[in-house]
Amino acid sequence: MSGLAMVPSWRRMVAGAVALFFLAGTAIAAPKGQAPKAKASPVAGLPEDKALALGERMYREGLLPNGEPMESVVSGDIPVPGTSFTCVSCHVRSGLGSLEGGVVTLPTNGFKLGQTRYWKYPNLLPEERKDLHVLTPQARPAYTDETLAHALRTGIDPSGRELNPVMPRYYLKDEDMAILVRYLWSLSTQISPGADATTIRFATIITDEVSQDDQDAMLVPLNNYVAWHNTHSNGMGNRMYMSIGGKEMSGSYRKLSLSVWRLKGSPDSWERQLETYLAKDPVFALLGGLSSGEWKPIHTFCENQKLPCLFPITDLPVISESDWYTQYFSKGYYQEGQAAARYLHGLDDPTSASRILQVIQDGPEGRDLAAGFRETWKELGQGAVKELRLAKGESLQATTLRTLLQQEKPTTLLLWHGAKAFAALEGLADQAERPGVVFLSSRLLGAETYGIPEKARPFTWITYPYRAPEDEPKYSRYANSLLKGLPKHKPETRISTRTYAMLQLFQAALMEMDRNTYRDNFFDRIGMQRDYVLPDYLRLSFGPGQRYASKGCFIMQLSSGSEPKLVRKSDWVIH
Amino acid sequence: MTRSAWHIAGLMLGFSAMGLLAQAPPPIKRTVETYTVPEVTLVNQDGTKVKLKALLDSGEPVIVDFIFGTCTTICPVLSAGYANLQMKLPNQAAKVNLVSISIDPENDTPKVMRDYLKRYRAKPGWTFLTGKREDIDKVMVAFNAYIPNKMSHYPLTLIREPKTGKWIRIFGLMSSSEFVAECSKVGIL
Repeated sequence: MSGLAMVPSWRRMVAGAVALFFLAGTAIAAPKGQAPKAKASPVAGLPEDKALALGERMYREGLLPNGEPMESVVSGDIPVPGTSFTCVSCHVRSGLGSLEGGVVTLPTNGFKLGQTRYWKYPNLLPEERKDLHVLTPQARPAYTDETLAHALRTGIDPSGRELNPVMPRYYLKDEDMAILVRYLWSLSTQISPGADATTIRFATIITDEVSQDDQDAMLVPLNNYVAWHNTHSNGMGNRMYMSIGGKEMSGSYRKLSLSVWRLKGSPDSWERQLETYLAKDPVFALLGGLSSGEWKPIHTFCENQKLPCLFPITDLPVISESDWYTQYFSKGYYQEGQAAARYLHGLDDPTSASRILQVIQDGPEGRDLAAGFRETWKELGQGAVKELRLAKGESLQATTLRTLLQQEKPTTLLLWHGAKAFAALEGLADQAERPGVVFLSSRLLGAETYGIPEKARPFTWITYPYRAPEDEPKYSRYANSLLKGLPKHKPETRISTRTYAMLQLFQAALMEMDRNTYRDNFFDRIGMQRDYVLPDYLRLSFGPGQRYASKGCFIMQLSSGSEPKLVRKSDWVIH
Repeated sequence: MTRSAWHIAGLMLGFSAMGLLAQAPPPIKRTVETYTVPEVTLVNQDGTKVKLKALLDSGEPVIVDFIFGTCTTICPVLSAGYANLQMKLPNQAAKVNLVSISIDPENDTPKVMRDYLKRYRAKPGWTFLTGKREDIDKVMVAFNAYIPNKMSHYPLTLIREPKTGKWIRIFGLMSSSEFVAECSKVGIL
């Protein structure tokens, strides 16, 4: 693959810059590693760490130190409890702010609060303004503890100007205010490890069972992207940024570096290996990653270290509503089980939904498929689900299935099993009492999906988590063409296309992050991306805290004949 | 750089200037409109299917906005406005249908919507709707509120006059007293 093939067009560059430039008004100063003056004395009679933990809870959860909701008023006279929304809702986790619907939420991180803010080019540091001969009036002087408390209570900034009425005016006692103010001073003050004024360091993780071909399918496009990005000198890169964003963007370009962290042996030992890697090579974030096993040990490491991991290529993610540091493409197998539940629940005829049986092949794939169905089924208010878990290494036999169906008489059978169950499935066709519907997972079956026995196809529904096959080529052609020169490239693994998609989002977030290289800011910028239409998944959508970008799945059936095709039975199932 | 790229860069400068001015309250724009509610079936926070036309054209007082569960700025303020309006109407809240329509249907499942309403202490009478993207798009188009990117949406409140069926379209974020005044004007308070 040619590295130049990854060069974004001017159109794409400008589009990225538009988003970046929008955000320029909200945040962006060049910290260059320096921290504001230290504020280490006790606050409100509390030790520093205790005060910061309470301040973080106020910022993120809207709860006062006594556990009650913070109270405020917004838009002049609308009372708002902190549990409805609070600082993090608009200023986001890093404190760098946001832009949405024409409303700029200004930064509230310690570094920016401690700087004079200017109307024009608020990104530039005083020495940069001097160098670039930018002599424009200031919007406000640096905040102090007192002026910050005054702004939070009254909405009046240190220059005397009134903030937008959408900024809540908070009713806070002096000691509670002191805790929140202390937290704000601590928020995003020093750029994160792995980043400096010239380079941002990244790593990707590969576990030792991954084949060389699959490694290449991810590493070739990833390395080519980094090489292309680094072809610019720093001066050239900055001029490129400036040509799009003007002086505001000067000094934003950083070189990239990419390490490969290879994990060996038992997953129990991965955390220790990862700690060793991170200690030797403190990177800013992880890009992609490949493992055929469960991602949980790596996920947990990233949560513990507060280390972002962008789009690992895994179908066995951790399912969590609150974890923050891994952005996945989807919920993987779990999402297929979820889609089966949602689709069954939404049918006008409730017959199929009356008695459910899940037969679960041993292993994490079957476990996640079944959990996705079970948990969603419960959430939808449906009844109990019967389950049969096969023993390790056991395949479903026709006689076993027949007996089971006679006992349970399910109206729907979820057969979370590989192709070895096809004989048992085929036997159902001639059985008088059989479930009206059998679900299979296309991800679990892989290419063998097309081998579903002819006689079983009329009652077999297939969960399919990607764009319909007939529509896919036009979306993935370009990404696949980048790997033309690679021997043994296998598009069906979707590794290179997912890497391509990851790089699209990485590039957008990198530009919008600008010089504010805080790890939390990196994922805050991911959370503010528009929806993307890229290879593989029908749509990738984002939002603060949204950690599974593709949220739907098709239900398909296989057509008859020796060269069958997948035929859509459903819309993109999202509810 | 091509001419078109410079043109876009110029636009960017304009938007940036807007951003810097955004500390001033955005002006509220009020118009009276006629809309045709599309025949779509959406899903509410309880997972129940809801025919939108029947809900909005019922003849009862109806207020509509467009929000999403993870919105950072506009939706929280709009929703605080809904919550506050319900608090001001302790006896009548159930008679005024407050309707929020998701513009992020991929993420806004019934559970997400339930949790959202709980955060705002919503009372009965506030319905949060999601649905198929094509149907959501139809609704946005019908109310002249279509946006291709949820991050660029804008604050919009639509109040249906019960007697005429016309819609008061309010662009911008209202204070509580402004919202109550608008409701009073059309006789739903």
